[in-house]
Amino acid sequence: MNPANYLRHFFQKNGMTLGLFLLVAVTFWMFILIILPQLFMVDFSLSRNLPPAELGGPQDVMTLEHYKFMIYGSAQEAGSYNTVDLGVFVRTLLAALFVTIFDLAICYPIAYYLAKVAHGGWGRLMVLSLIVPFWVNEILRAFAFRIMFGSAGVINAFLMWAGIIDQPYDFIPNNIALYAGLGYAYILLMIFPLYNAIESLDKNQIEAARDMGASWLHIHRRVVIPFAKPGISSGCTMVFMLSAGALAAPQILGGPSSLWFTQIIYQWFNTGGNWPRGSAYAIILLASTILFVLLVMKVFKVKLGEIAK
Amino acid sequence: MMADRLRKIFVIAFVIMFFAYLFGPLILMSVSAFNSSAFPRVTPFECFTVEWFDVLARDATLMEGLRNSLIIGFGVMLIAVPMGLAGALMLTQVNQRLRPWYYTIVISPILIPGVVLGISTLVFWDRLGVMFGAGYDSIFYNGIFLTIVGQSTFIAAYSMLVFISRLQRFESAQEEAALDLGATNVQAFRKVLLPFLKPAIGSAAVLAFLASFENYNTTVFTIVSESTLTTVLASKVRYGINPSISALAVVIVVLTLFGAVFYEILQRREAAATKASEAVARGETTSRAQQAALYADPAVIITLLVFLAGFGTVYFAGTMGVDECKIAVKEEKLQRAAERTKMRQSLEMFKGAAPGAQTGTAAPGAPKERAKGTEGYEGVFAPGNLGTGSDTPPKEEEKKEPEKIESPGKSQFQNIFDPANLQQQSGSKN
Repeated sequence: MNPANYLRHFFQKNGMTLGLFLLVAVTFWMFILIILPQLFMVDFSLSRNLPPAELGGPQDVMTLEHYKFMIYGSAQEAGSYNTVDLGVFVRTLLAALFVTIFDLAICYPIAYYLAKVAHGGWGRLMVLSLIVPFWVNEILRAFAFRIMFGSAGVINAFLMWAGIIDQPYDFIPNNIALYAGLGYAYILLMIFPLYNAIESLDKNQIEAARDMGASWLHIHRRVVIPFAKPGISSGCTMVFMLSAGALAAPQILGGPSSLWFTQIIYQWFNTGGNWPRGSAYAIILLASTILFVLLVMKVFKVKLGEIAK
Repeated sequence: MMADRLRKIFVIAFVIMFFAYLFGPLILMSVSAFNSSAFPRVTPFECFTVEWFDVLARDATLMEGLRNSLIIGFGVMLIAVPMGLAGALMLTQVNQRLRPWYYTIVISPILIPGVVLGISTLVFWDRLGVMFGAGYDSIFYNGIFLTIVGQSTFIAAYSMLVFISRLQRFESAQEEAALDLGATNVQAFRKVLLPFLKPAIGSAAVLAFLASFENYNTTVFTIVSESTLTTVLASKVRYGINPSISALAVVIVVLTLFGAVFYEILQRREAAATKASEAVARGETTSRAQQAALYADPAVIITLLVFLAGFGTVYFAGTMGVDECKIAVKEEKLQRAAERTKMRQSLEMFKGAAPGAQTGTAAPGAPKERAKGTEGYEGVFAPGNLGTGSDTPPKEEEKKEPEKIESPGKSQFQNIFDPANLQQQSGSKN
């Protein structure tokens, strides 16, 4: 069908008013809000950081300098690498992966419990109560962890009371508070996909496996997990992307000596005053997280369509 | 049998631990809102007070942020919900071959990190502003407008998902019937599809507002020189805090709880209504007991109990007199400080006396006593102990805490990311 025909058919089906609304709204969303800004950002990241007066002048040329900077550091230096930024980058991805695994490990049993074991009013109450922490602001959640993990916090007070330690332990520099806070922040995005996936599993399948003598571990490995795989990968993707792209929790809970990659981006935009470089770093973050997710999906043989459910 | 029971205990313990992890931080934060200590903390609990709520209400920057957040929230609701609806309706009409592409594009804002969305929005409108030669007071640099646009990008995708799941249950035969009976397209949309989508529009709007209200990652870039509740909060949390932020958290938690209970009751009403209408259709009558059961479920009861307990404590504490308690705590602190000075003085006396006393008759006793004295001294003035609070004035700590978090990071940032510095560093390496 050629485009003109298609358009006529479209307006015939929807009528003029509705058809126009659909077309305008979707075009605005897709192009003005999604595609063009991303393209402009890519273009911008290839431009040099110039004062407004020199824009459009002879200095205003396309360059890869910001991407090179991320890898090699300053331009004068050929052989050395930008170890600071690269280190932060790798650590951010690894830490996000760790947070994802942590969330999966604690959420899977709970999701299974809520979907298959708990029932009646209590089960409903538990599912409902999961939502409450989610609607409390991200910053307030991080703040709560600072109250807990601070040197004057409850955890230190408890540990000292119990006699496990005799001096308050500072959880901030070694990022324990940060990982706990990040894991906490995105727990819901892990638990709901898992819960939805496991809930749709027919209980008879589990019982059949049990009747035939499958062990508890075997049932999960051969029946529940394969069935819940779309939910698992969906939850893991969300948690990984969000923790790699988190900004508030690292700002509030991160140790002073360990930056998060988003913080570097933020600094380029704020105090660093180099927007093109910030854009380049943002694109590196976007591209690497997407690549990472695609790789994991390939390894676990899940399709994107299943994830976005 | 034994193993079964053991496993059950283990499972229950795990569930309890999980919910403790989920609610512990929020409960502790809420408790710290009622502690009169100037730094938000739970231990030691000094005096019960509601003064932080007053401080919160009088905080002008926070209120300004709140106002902007509300404006942005409504703006996002107005833009994102129709866009999401259009996106969902379009999904069934897009050419088969193009559909996966279309879906990938419109769903992608959910997966793109919020930071990246904020940056791309900021850069895009900035470039447009440059192209049109617009000034800094134009819409291209207006923080509120940019934030509405930036947030709508992904919130529209959320609402689209809500609409898609509702549309999946729509029988298109209804619409076809309307069209067959002579309705125009717009009429069929307004009289058939829109009423069917009404609950979805409601939940999408609520979702959009809440998602906008609590967003930080996108907002922090797009807001430019304005502020929202989250950006004000973030800077407050980073640069020095008092428990008024905990008080805000209490307000939000309570509102959320109300919302959750309200939603639950609504759901139950709806379920009961459908059940009742089915029963009526079958010619039965609903019993009173069934209706009563609607309200007698654990969710409602527990929340009511929590509220009762909360209000009870507030009322009870209100009659106790906060000021008296504060004075008592202050006196106690002063007393402790005096004791400490005394101890230090006596310690110094021991130090001075010990060498001379060695020849004296008191020699055997002196070292022992000195050891005791030092012990106490170490206990009180050990650097780590400063943080534990019980014998430290809160003022000191309030100043100490933000410094510890912020300034090292900042100074380090300046060291590392200042391009000039980098060149210097790399130059000195050679």
